[in-house]
Amino acid sequence: MGNNLWKDTWLMTVRNIKTTLRNPFSFIPNLIISAFFLLVYEGGLSGISQLPTFEGANYLAFILPVSIVSAAIGGAGGAGQSIVKDIENGFFSRLLLTPASRLAIVLGPIIAGMLQLVVQTLLIIGIAFLLGLEVVTGFGGILFVLLIAVGWGLAFAGYSAGVALRTGNAQAAQAGTFIFFPLIFLSTTFVPYDLIEAQWLKIAATINPTTYIFESMRTALIDGWVFWDLMQGVFAILIVCTITITFAAVSAKKAVSRG
Amino acid sequence: MNGKIVVEHLTKTFKKGNVQAVKDVSFEVEEGEFFAFLGPNGAGKSTTVQILTTLINATSGKAEVAGHDVIREPEKVRRYIGVALQETGVDPDLTGREMIELQANIFGFRKEEGKKRAQELLEIVQLTEAAERRIGNYSGGMRRRLDLALTLVNEPKILFLDEPTTGLDPSNRMAIWEELRRLNEEVGTTIFLTTQYLEEADSLAHRISIINDGEIVATGTPKELKAQIGNDLITLTLKDENQQAEAVEYLRGQMADVDVISRHNKVLIYVEEGTKQLLEVVRLFDQEGYEIEDIQLSSPTLDDIFLKITSEKKEGVRADGE
Ligand SMILES: Nc1ncnc2c1ncn2[C@@H]1O[C@H](COP(=O)(O)OP(=O)(O)OP(=O)(O)O)[C@@H](O)[C@H]1O
Ligand SMILES: [Mg+2]
Repeated sequence: MGNNLWKDTWLMTVRNIKTTLRNPFSFIPNLIISAFFLLVYEGGLSGISQLPTFEGANYLAFILPVSIVSAAIGGAGGAGQSIVKDIENGFFSRLLLTPASRLAIVLGPIIAGMLQLVVQTLLIIGIAFLLGLEVVTGFGGILFVLLIAVGWGLAFAGYSAGVALRTGNAQAAQAGTFIFFPLIFLSTTFVPYDLIEAQWLKIAATINPTTYIFESMRTALIDGWVFWDLMQGVFAILIVCTITITFAAVSAKKAVSRG
Repeated sequence: MNGKIVVEHLTKTFKKGNVQAVKDVSFEVEEGEFFAFLGPNGAGKSTTVQILTTLINATSGKAEVAGHDVIREPEKVRRYIGVALQETGVDPDLTGREMIELQANIFGFRKEEGKKRAQELLEIVQLTEAAERRIGNYSGGMRRRLDLALTLVNEPKILFLDEPTTGLDPSNRMAIWEELRRLNEEVGTTIFLTTQYLEEADSLAHRISIINDGEIVATGTPKELKAQIGNDLITLTLKDENQQAEAVEYLRGQMADVDVISRHNKVLIYVEEGTKQLLEVVRLFDQEGYEIEDIQLSSPTLDDIFLKITSEKKEGVRADGE
C-alpha cells in the first residue's frame, strides 16, 4: 500500500484545496483581520517607534509578524475545519471504507491547510511591501519569516486537526482557535518587551511561545542575521510542534481505528 | 476471494452506555444472494453493517467478508465491497461528477478510466443532468442515488446498504429497488440490505433475518416467514372486554391452524386468506354470542411480527418451564 500513500495524499490534498476555494468565507475574514493589523496599527501606532527603545526601527516591520502569525493561524486552522466538515458530512467514514491510505486521509487536509497558510502569509507580506516595508536581511530574511510562519502554522494545524479528530464537532474545533489566537495579544504584540509596563503581561509574554516567534521574525526583518535571536523561534516551534503533532497523531490513530 | 458473508457468534458491546448492540449473531449469505436484515430502530442493524464493513471491531465473534477476515485483513475486504451507510457520505462542495471521479481515483482508476466510470454511473442513477451541480444543492433522493453510485464505483462483489430507502418518496424508492434487482440478477452482486420495511425485504430479498434487540429472532425466505406469520392480520375488539380471554380460547379451539394473540383490549388473528377467515371469525363469534365492536383486516406490520415472534418465545419458555 506504500505507493498508494503518495497518490492518495495527492488526491486528498487537491480535493481539500478545491473545497477551500469554493468556500471563500472560510478564509476571507481571517485575511481581512490580518491585513487590518498592518493597516490600522501601522497608521495608528507608528508614532511610538520614535521612542528610543525602537532604535529607529520601522513600526511596519515591527507589527508585520503579528499580522503574519494571525494569517498563519487562520490558514492552518483550515485543516481542522476541513476534517470536522468531513466527519459531520459522513464523508470521513466513506473514505475509511475505501482502501485509501489512512495516513493520506488525515494528511490531505493538513497539507492543504499549510498551503493556504503560505498563500495568506505571502499576501500579507505583499501588502506590507506595498506599504513601504524594508527588510534588512533581504530575500533570505523573507524566506526565513515564511519558514517560521509555516512552522508555527504546523504547530497550530496539528492542534486543530487533533481537536477535530477527537471531537468531530465544529464548535469544539472553533473553540480550539480561541486558545491560539489570544496568545497573539499576551505578548510583545504592539511594543517591545522593555516597554511593557504591566508585570502580569511581562510574565505572560515570557511564557508565551508566540513571543519567541514574533521576536525571531523581527530579528530577521529589523536586526539582521543574529543567530541565537533567530533560533528562539525555531526552538519554540520545535517544542510546540512536538506536542501538537503527537496530539494529532494520537487523535488520528483513534479516529481511524475501529475501537 | 468470493462473494460470501460468513458471520459466527458476533457480539458488540459499546463501552459508552454499556449497550449490547449485537448479541451472538450468526448467519451466512451465499454468493449472489440478496439478503435482508429486517428490524426496528435500535435493533443493531447499523452496528452489524459497521462491523462487516471494517468500520468498527466486534467485541467477540468472527466475520468473513469476500473470503477475508474483517479484523485481520480489512484492506482486502475494502477492495471487494461497496458500502452505503445509513447517513450518506458525500462532500457537499464537490459536484456529483467530481465526487464519483474522486472515488474512482481512490480505487485506482486512472484519470480517463475514472471519467468514463463516472459517466456510466451517473447514467445508471439518472443524475447526468445534475452532474455538474454541487452536491450541497441536491435533494435527499438525489444524494441517496449518488451515494449508491459511489458504492458501485469499484464493481463490488458484495454490496452493503444500510436502510437505503428510508425517507425517500415512492418514485425514488422504486428507482433504487430497480437498480438493486438489476445488480443482483444481471451482475450477480451479493447484497446485504437492512430495512425497517417488511414490504421492502419481502419484495427484494431471497432471504430475511429479523433482528430485534441485537438478536436474530427468525430467518427464512419471505415465503417461509409469511407462512409462519400469516399473510393477513385481523384485529378485533369485543363490546364486552371481560369476554376476551374466553373468546380467544374458543377461537383457538375452533381455528386450529391460525395464531390468535390477545393484546390489551384487542384480539390479533394471523391468517392465510384474510376475507374468508374474517367471515368465519364473525360467524363463530356470532354463534357464541360474543359481540364484536370493531373488526379490521390488514397486512401485518413489523410491529405485529415482533409481537407474534416474541409472544411465541414467551410461550415456549412457559412450556419448557412446566
Ligand atoms: N457508537 C455507539 N456508542 C454507544 N451506543 C451505540 C453506538 N452505536 C449504536 N449504539 C447503540 O446500539 C444499539 C443498536 O444501534 P444500531 O444503530 O445498530 O441500530 P439500528 O438497528 O441501526 O437502528 P436504526 O433503525 O435506528 O438505524 C442502540 O441501542 C444504540 O443506541
Ligand atoms: Mg441504523
